[in-house]
Amino acid sequence: MYDTYSQLLVPIISRLKSFLEDDMNIAVVNDESKIINSEHITLKENTVLIGTGGSVQLIITMGFDDLVLENLVEEFCYGEVYEGEELIEIQESVACEVSNTVIGNAIKNPIDDSVINITPPILIREAKSLAKYKNSMILETKIITVDGDIQLTVIGPKDVFSDKLDLKEV
Amino acid sequence: MLNVLVVDDALVIRKNITRFLTEMGHKVVSDAKSGVEAVATCKEMKDINLITMDITMPEMNGIEATKLIKEILPDVSIIMVTSHGQEELVSQSLKAGAKNFVLKPITKEKLEQTIGTLFPEYAKEEDDELLDEE
Repeated sequence: MYDTYSQLLVPIISRLKSFLEDDMNIAVVNDESKIINSEHITLKENTVLIGTGGSVQLIITMGFDDLVLENLVEEFCYGEVYEGEELIEIQESVACEVSNTVIGNAIKNPIDDSVINITPPILIREAKSLAKYKNSMILETKIITVDGDIQLTVIGPKDVFSDKLDLKEV
Repeated sequence: MLNVLVVDDALVIRKNITRFLTEMGHKVVSDAKSGVEAVATCKEMKDINLITMDITMPEMNGIEATKLIKEILPDVSIIMVTSHGQEELVSQSLKAGAKNFVLKPITKEKLEQTIGTLFPEYAKEEDDELLDEE
């Protein structure tokens, strides 16, 4: 399980770094991102969830510090300024779009050659704590940029958790 | 000038694609945030020449929407916009009736080049660039 999850995570880390630096002009500070097998994690306030389907069933999360998200919004919107409810909707769609693009570009099936589908991204706007449960596994890493961190996790198996990452009653 | 329908669940992508198409001189006649909305729009508006279609959307994905839209507007050209480069998804989209693909992150240059392959009259001409250099 650890091998499958970490093999899935490595190309996503690499693509996230290149996306930030080459497409978004955001400098990445750490060169090596350690993958940690966590017992417990706290997700950031702006965290996007994407599920995978096919022969690999898990949940990938990408959480953004506020300043990183602000700068991503500025880059995505070509400097156009939004306010109020429209700004909130734009922030949500940028967080979801960054996650969808990076994960979609990078995802490869570590088990076989079959397609891994990804679900539409969902944004959770609350800091959420999550503990490892029975057979579940949580792998975590972070990308440090000049504007703050992006937290990346792989959590699974998917059927242990609800759509919003709460544990299902077993 | 092409009449275009932009389909994507992300507001920022609908805005950016609309911006790029407008700068190219095309008209975005409508946009939709799901496959269901896109199909409904195609039943109402018959003068659409081109659709940019996201694949991963809630309710109905872009591949399902493409199949239904080709029954309503058989002559419309559909470009899939997706983060996936996986061959199986490309193949499914082409079978559904899509004409071409743009891989995210989407840029004006990528979109312009792809439209040029489907509508050569709107291809950015190399002669123009050469003249500019001279």
